[in-house]
Amino acid sequence: MVNITINGQKIEAQNGQTILDVARSHGLDIPTLCYHKDLSPTGNCRMCVVEVKGGRFLSAACVTSVWEGMEIETHSEKVVKDRKLTLELMLANHPQDCITCDVSGECELQDLAYEYQASAPSWGSKGTLYPVDSDPNPFIRVDMNRCILCRRCVLACGEIQVRDVWGVAKRGFEEVIVAGAGTSMLEARCESCGQCVAYCPTGALSNKMNYGMARAHQVKKVTTTCSYCGVGCQFDLLVKNNKVIGVQSNPDAPVNGMALCVKGRYGYDYIHHPDRLVKPRVRRYLLEGKNKSDIREAIFDNRKSNNESSNIGSPWDWVETDWDTALNITARKLDGTRNTFGADSIGVLTSAKCLNEENYLMNKLARQVLGTNNIDHCARL
Amino acid sequence: MTNKKIKYQPIQPEVLELAAEHGNSPEAVLEVLKDIQAEHGGLSRQSITDTARALGIPAHQAYGMATFYSMLSLEEHREVLRVCDGPVCWLKRASVDAWKKKMPADDFTVERTSCLGLCDRAPAVLVNDEQAGPVLPRNAAKVCEGWRGVETDYAKPRKGELRVMTELIGKIDPDSIDDALSHGVYGGLKSALQKSPEEVIAIVEASGLQGRGGAGFPVGRKWKFVAAEKRTPRYIVCNADESEPLIFKDRVLIETNPHQLLEGLLIAGYACGASEAWIYIRGEYEAQARRLENAIKQAEEKNLLGENILGSGFSFKIHVHRGAGAYICGEETALIESLEGKRGEPRLRPPFPPAYGFRGQPTAVNNVESFCAVPHILKNGADWWKSLTGYAVGGTKLYMVLGHVKNPGLFEAPFGLTLRDVIKMGGGMAEGAKFQFALCGGAAGTIVDKSLMDVPLDYASSQKGISLGAGAFLICDQTVSPVAFLRELLHFFAAESCGKCTPCRVGTWRSLEILNRLAAGQGHAGDVEELKALSAVMLDSSFCGLGQSVPIPMNSAMAHFGKKFAEAETR
Repeated sequence: MVNITINGQKIEAQNGQTILDVARSHGLDIPTLCYHKDLSPTGNCRMCVVEVKGGRFLSAACVTSVWEGMEIETHSEKVVKDRKLTLELMLANHPQDCITCDVSGECELQDLAYEYQASAPSWGSKGTLYPVDSDPNPFIRVDMNRCILCRRCVLACGEIQVRDVWGVAKRGFEEVIVAGAGTSMLEARCESCGQCVAYCPTGALSNKMNYGMARAHQVKKVTTTCSYCGVGCQFDLLVKNNKVIGVQSNPDAPVNGMALCVKGRYGYDYIHHPDRLVKPRVRRYLLEGKNKSDIREAIFDNRKSNNESSNIGSPWDWVETDWDTALNITARKLDGTRNTFGADSIGVLTSAKCLNEENYLMNKLARQVLGTNNIDHCARL
Repeated sequence: MTNKKIKYQPIQPEVLELAAEHGNSPEAVLEVLKDIQAEHGGLSRQSITDTARALGIPAHQAYGMATFYSMLSLEEHREVLRVCDGPVCWLKRASVDAWKKKMPADDFTVERTSCLGLCDRAPAVLVNDEQAGPVLPRNAAKVCEGWRGVETDYAKPRKGELRVMTELIGKIDPDSIDDALSHGVYGGLKSALQKSPEEVIAIVEASGLQGRGGAGFPVGRKWKFVAAEKRTPRYIVCNADESEPLIFKDRVLIETNPHQLLEGLLIAGYACGASEAWIYIRGEYEAQARRLENAIKQAEEKNLLGENILGSGFSFKIHVHRGAGAYICGEETALIESLEGKRGEPRLRPPFPPAYGFRGQPTAVNNVESFCAVPHILKNGADWWKSLTGYAVGGTKLYMVLGHVKNPGLFEAPFGLTLRDVIKMGGGMAEGAKFQFALCGGAAGTIVDKSLMDVPLDYASSQKGISLGAGAFLICDQTVSPVAFLRELLHFFAAESCGKCTPCRVGTWRSLEILNRLAAGQGHAGDVEELKALSAVMLDSSFCGLGQSVPIPMNSAMAHFGKKFAEAETR
């Protein structure tokens, strides 16, 4: 235990805690940009500087541990002045395009600029230096002009996804975030998980699929569980006009935190896709009560032409039907197969997208109802 | 949507071979990249990616390094002429453009570089890896033929000099260990090996030797911290990345007596219980690095390095690691990062290197001059060292006096000199020159006017407004504009800021922009105010010593020459 004082308030803190940890756990605000609770603190943006009594310089709260008797001022005149000027230095190197920026309204730089009433200095932004939308990655939109070099993307990629795509190149004012050896992201081993986007505090990294479709205040967030596999990642669906337009990490997700894979984060376009099946379909000959052996010619024609449109009305055609009909046909076929060829002629493959309970039921169906041990799971493939 | 498939390509056999030559160690990335560049004249993205894959590091790390260090280049060129644009060469009217006009464009790429550490040979250039100076663009033809200017000769002491570390200059052949041995070099080591490591540290501590890099941290205390760490292996690192404008003492020390440095490292290793040492020498000091390598080889042959040194049971290895052009690597944690094969960016402190240094192990990082002083202290005792001065701080120090003095160069003298003494040692002001101001300490030192001429200089005198730093003094006469001079310093810092933290990255660049227009007579109202604000935020909020010390020359220049700055603003 160490006793410290923050803004005159006496606080008991744990050994080894940082100033930021202590302050935040006591509801005291210290602004941060490069810091994120999931990532190693680097202390490079200098937004979280605070005044420690007796110190020659200001200390970065995110990386300074507390010690016995420490006296901290989080909002002294000097601190606020420095933070504001640091923000101005960032803004001087950031395009003034909030008005059209996708992340306006959820941009941490914008929020801090507002809080500290910092505007771009009169000498203004350095202007566009990098091409906009500079990377061919199908999911991630890169606009390095908006980058403030906090390096959260570098850490997210290196520490969370462990792909080490993003890095820092050049030095000084020319410093820039690059993928690999200055290549495209995919060439630098990117697997398009979008972790970098989730951790980017500005609009430097954003999502390509829904770019320009809505801003934070225009969407409803619906927390849900990913339907792709059994891990059970949670995230927020971004819903606008009753349509899902995107997926966003939910930091409170118990299983995955901010992390998602490419399918979870970007594989949502099936939801409103016109090709999506929303009702069961069966082959027409099954509806008509025929046997496969009766329609050999129709199947042959279909394979030869390989052109669906010419086969409308063919007995081999897929026809929408209701669930009862489809399930009855399935049950009849399974029953017939088992009676004719024995239970082990049937195999059951379940899906990673099913819940544990559903998989359990499929297991029961296979072993007890159908009477076969031929059951497996797609995740083993 | 992209349909571009990323094809697997095997690593180029050449890169694999080079990586294997360097033990496939991720720490060797700088060496491998340098070798590739030496072979091909530049680095391609493919070779950078391949290097990373061969060494098992991310591609961005290798690319980050290739673009961080100024001596590495993505563009191919056959030969390179690097023209120093440090403040001393600037005073001598060095010009990259003039060189570009004179050098054969087909063969040579001419580019600027930050200070080359050849201030006593200004104006200086680097022809590939060969140091040259003083040379002027009109000597271009001779330079192409292999002429490298004139080396400074320090064999003869100046009047008033007291030589300890520089005593053997001119008396020994620096490439001969027999010469060094016959003049008593390694005597301090022999004396140390007869004592316990604790006794050695106690002697160094009693001598009051302060780190000669500029901060003046007590050497003995640092070693004590390292020796007190339980973890092994412990390491010794010698900071020979002397990249600050005005400073070239380490170069002279290595050039004239490399064994003295090795001896200092050995004693440090023995005292701290370390097993290996690295000399991190700046890439521009290729000749000096070779001299050190030769000295190490000779010392190994004499069993002064290696296993069971002189039958004492103490074993020690010394490696030479070349930098590749980055001032920030003189910051000890950035140096360690660079040594580990990363971009030379400073680490968070604490933990400090004595607890968590190279490879995360306890490490003592000291300056060349600090190590060079140690053997003499061991040989002659702490009291002798203290008795060299009649001043509160004991021992001698190397001083560099430059600019408008009659006899610029390096000399050794006891502590306690004033700026007036330093100028006197430099032979007084040059013909027709009247003292206007001096930059004291180094580029990150104080700019002072004549009011501080008589303050005795030591590591505490910066509180009085005049710093000793690494012991360099640039004397400027009435012809030099303080505004333009400060611009030159900011030009250096902006070029050398690593870019990690916001205040230094943007602050140095913005200050340079303002100073550029002030010096060009196009100042705006409020410019000085903004400089002061930038200086304040860099001082308070920067991540490391680089950003924190840029405001020292800024503030002192504006304090002493406020009128000139105000004039530049309103002109």
